[in-house]
Amino acid sequence: MGSGFDITAEDIRVFLDEAEELLQAMEAGILRLESEASDPDPEVIQDIFRAAHTLKGSSATLGHQSMAELTHAMENVLDRLRKGKVSVTTPLVDTLFRCLDVLKIFKDEIATGEPAAVNTDEVMRELAALEGTADSAEPAAPAPAGGDVALPALTPEQQAKLEQAQARGLKAYQAQVALSPEAAMPAVRAFQALLAVADIGQIVLSVPTQEEVENDQVGADLKLLFVTGESVEKVHEVLREVPEIAIQVLAPYQPSLPAATPGPAEEVAAAAMAPPASGAAQAATGAPQPAPGAAPPAESNSGGPVRTTRSGLRTVRVDVEVLDNLMNTVGELVIERTRLQQVLSRLEVEREGDELSQVMSSALAQLGRLTGNLQEEIQRARMLPVENLFRKFPRMIRDIAHKAGKEINFIVRGEETELDRSVIEEIGDPLMHLLRNAVDHGIESAEERLAAGKPAAGTVILEAFHEENHIIISVRDDGRGVDPEKIRASAVRKGIISEEAARRLSDPEAVNLIWAPGFSTKQEVSEVSGRGVGLDVVQKNIERINGSVEIRSTVGQGTEFRVKLPLTLAIIRALQVELVGTTYCIPLGSVVETDRIPTSEIQTVRQREVIVKRGEVIPLLRLAEAFGLQRPEGYEEPEEIFVVIVAVMGRQIGLVVDSLIGEGDVVIKPLGRFIGEIPGISGATIMGDGDVAIILDVSSLVDSVQGEAGRLETVAQ
Amino acid sequence: MVQDQREQQAISQIVVFQMDNEYYGADIAVVREVVPLQRVTYVPRTPEYVLGVINLRGRVIPVIDLRRRLGLPAGAVTKATRIAIGEVDGDQVGMVVDSVEEVARVPADAVEPPSSLLSQLDREHVLGVAKVGDRLITLLDLRQILMREERKTAVAQ
Repeated sequence: MGSGFDITAEDIRVFLDEAEELLQAMEAGILRLESEASDPDPEVIQDIFRAAHTLKGSSATLGHQSMAELTHAMENVLDRLRKGKVSVTTPLVDTLFRCLDVLKIFKDEIATGEPAAVNTDEVMRELAALEGTADSAEPAAPAPAGGDVALPALTPEQQAKLEQAQARGLKAYQAQVALSPEAAMPAVRAFQALLAVADIGQIVLSVPTQEEVENDQVGADLKLLFVTGESVEKVHEVLREVPEIAIQVLAPYQPSLPAATPGPAEEVAAAAMAPPASGAAQAATGAPQPAPGAAPPAESNSGGPVRTTRSGLRTVRVDVEVLDNLMNTVGELVIERTRLQQVLSRLEVEREGDELSQVMSSALAQLGRLTGNLQEEIQRARMLPVENLFRKFPRMIRDIAHKAGKEINFIVRGEETELDRSVIEEIGDPLMHLLRNAVDHGIESAEERLAAGKPAAGTVILEAFHEENHIIISVRDDGRGVDPEKIRASAVRKGIISEEAARRLSDPEAVNLIWAPGFSTKQEVSEVSGRGVGLDVVQKNIERINGSVEIRSTVGQGTEFRVKLPLTLAIIRALQVELVGTTYCIPLGSVVETDRIPTSEIQTVRQREVIVKRGEVIPLLRLAEAFGLQRPEGYEEPEEIFVVIVAVMGRQIGLVVDSLIGEGDVVIKPLGRFIGEIPGISGATIMGDGDVAIILDVSSLVDSVQGEAGRLETVAQ
Repeated sequence: MVQDQREQQAISQIVVFQMDNEYYGADIAVVREVVPLQRVTYVPRTPEYVLGVINLRGRVIPVIDLRRRLGLPAGAVTKATRIAIGEVDGDQVGMVVDSVEEVARVPADAVEPPSSLLSQLDREHVLGVAKVGDRLITLLDLRQILMREERKTAVAQ
C-alpha cells in the first residue's frame, strides 16, 4: 500500500477497530433498508451513508485506493437514494451487500498486510448502473457537513455575545475542522482558520482558544462557535482556503429556542453536504435536534442528543490484553491472599489468637474486601453487551435463508445484556451453529409450513437475558420440532445406541441423543449446516467455558436451545478435597452438601453403590478409583467416608473423597491443548503453596454415573 | 511431504540432552528454557507418558516423560534431571530428560537423514542424526512429539 503518510501499527489498529464498527453499522443499516424497502427511514440511509463516507476518509488516509474508490461509489448511490432519485430494490440491496463483502476483504487485507486478489470491477459496474448518470458524481473534494460539535458550555458572557449577535440578525454556526496530522505547524493552520472566520464574522467560542493556539497548544482539531452574516457556503469557501485542514462539521448552531430553527435553504444546504469524516462529532443530518424548551443553549449542547457526542473524555480504549493482564494479576492476588489466610490459620492455632494474629486477621479481612472489589471492577470492565456478537447474525441468517429458499423472520432481543469478553469470544461459533441449525433443520419449507397451518415465513428468535447468576442465550424457532421417534431410529441406524437401549429411553432422553458425537438429524449433509461439525462440538465448546446447553422441543411447534453461561470465567469458589494425598477442587456452585457417612450405610443397587438421604437414592462415585489413583500398600478403607453431594440440572451424585480441606476462590487455568479434554476434569488452579490442583468437571462426572443418554459410553468409570 | 520439509530445515543451533546414555538434540527455537525438576501434579485419565502439570511462573504447563514418549526404558530421577520446556504453536510442554548438556551448532551438512536408525525409536519423531565432534546426536522433531493430536483417543481407559 503506497501512502505518503507515516502509517504506524497503532494507526492501522485504530482504523481496523473503526472499520469493524462502521461495517457492522452499514450491515445493520442495509438489513433494515431491505426490511423497510417500501418506506425506507431517511435516518437509516443517512447512517449507511455516513458510515461509507467515514470509511472513505480513513481508507484514503491509509492509502487504500480501491477501498476509497468503492466507498465513494457507494456514497454516490446512497446519495441518490437519500434524495429519493432511486428507490430501494432487491438489486440495490444485493449490490450494497456485495460491496460490504468486498469492503470486508479490504479490511482483512489491511489487517494481514497481504493483498487479496479481489476485483472490484463488477461491483463498481453495478454501482455505476444504479447511479445512472455517472457524471452527476459529487466533487471529490471533502465536503463540509451538518452535525453537532461537542462544544463546552457557554459562559454567561459568551451567551450574551451570541444572543446580541442573533438579535442583530446574524446567524450562529458551529464548525469542526481537523488539522492534518502531517501538518508541520498545526497551530499555524488553526490560527489561520480562526483568522479566516474572524474575517467574515465574530468568534464566540473556540476549542482550543485563540490564546492556546497562539501558544502552540493544539490538538487534532479545532472546534468553533461563531456568528456571521454570511451564508454557510461562503464560510465553507473561506475555510477551504486554509491549507492542511479538513472541514468535518459546518452547520447552523442550534440554540435552545424553538424559534431559531434555520431556514429551509440552510437546511437543504447542510443536508446535501457530506457528513464528517471523524467519529468525534457525528452528523445528525442538517435537521435540527429537538431541544428542551427553555433550557439555555449550553445545556442543550452538553446534555443534547446522545449520539452526537461520543463522550470522548469519559472513555478510553484499552487493549484487551491489558484487561487480561489485569485479570491475571488479580487472580494472582487472590492466590496470595489465600496463602496469607493459611498462614493466619496456623498463627491462630499456634499463638491462640494473640494480638498479632488478631491484627493480621482484620488486615486480611480488609484485604479480602479490597481484592473482592478490585476483582469485581475489572470483571465489569471486561463486560461487553452481547450486541457486539449478535450484530453479525442477521446478515448470516439472511444469507442462509436465501440459500435454503426459506423465508425467515429473525428477531433479536436483549442485545444490551452484558457478558464477559472472553465468554462472548467463545460463544460466537456455538451460537452461529445453533442458528444455522434452526434455519436449516428447524424451520420447514414454506409449503410444509402452509400445509401445517403455519405462516409461510418461519420465525427464529435469538434472545439473551439474566437468570439468577447466569446469562441465558436462547435460540428458538417455530419449526417442525425434534421428533423423539425419528431420533431413536436414526441413533440406532448410526450405531450410536442399541435398539433395546433406545426403546428404554424416555422421550426427552431420546431427544438428547442429538448431542451424541456423529449425530445429524438430516439424511443428507446440507451445504449450510454440514461442514462436519456436529452438535456434540457445540456442546463441548459451551461446556468448556463452564456453560451448559439444553434442548426443549415440541413436535410440530418448534425447538428451543437454551445456552446457560457463567457471568465470568476466570475465578470460581471451590471446595478443596483430598484424594490420595493430592488436592482437588470442586466448583462450589454444584455442591449441595458434604457429609460423613459410615461405610455400613452404603447400599448397592444394580452393582452401583448408593446412599439414601432424606428418602432419595444418591449414587456414589469413588473418585480415587474412577481416576485410577494408586493407593499406597496396606491401605485400609476407613469406617467412615467423606461424601460431597453434587448436582447438575437436578441430578445428584455423591463424590467419595478422602477428606475435606476447605473452600476458597480459585483461578481457573486451562490444562492446555496438549492434554486436551479429559472427562471429569475442567482445568487446574495454582494453590496458595504454589502447587497445582486439578479442578473437577462435575457435569461430566454426573453424566458418567447418571448415564445421560448418548454420553454413557464416552466417560470411563 | 513432511519428509521434504524436514530435509530443508537447516538446524543451526540445538539443545543437546541425554537420555538412557545417548545424546538427543532439539531445535533451540523450540526449546524455550530448561528448569530443574519440580513437584508435578498428576492429572488423572491422561496417557501414561504424561506425568502431570507444573506451575511455571503462574502458568499451568503439562509435563511429559520424554523417555516414555519415545519408547525408551524408564530412568531414575537424579540431581541432573531437568525439565526442558518446549513451545509449539504457543503451547508450552515440559519434557523430563536425564540431563541437559550444552547448546551446539550443527551445520546442515552434518545431519544424516533418519534412514538407518535405532529401531526402538519411533521414526516419526526423528529429524536426523548429527555428528558433532565425536558425539552422535539424534535430532528430535519436537513439533511431532508435542503436536496436539485428537487427545480423546489417548485418554486412558
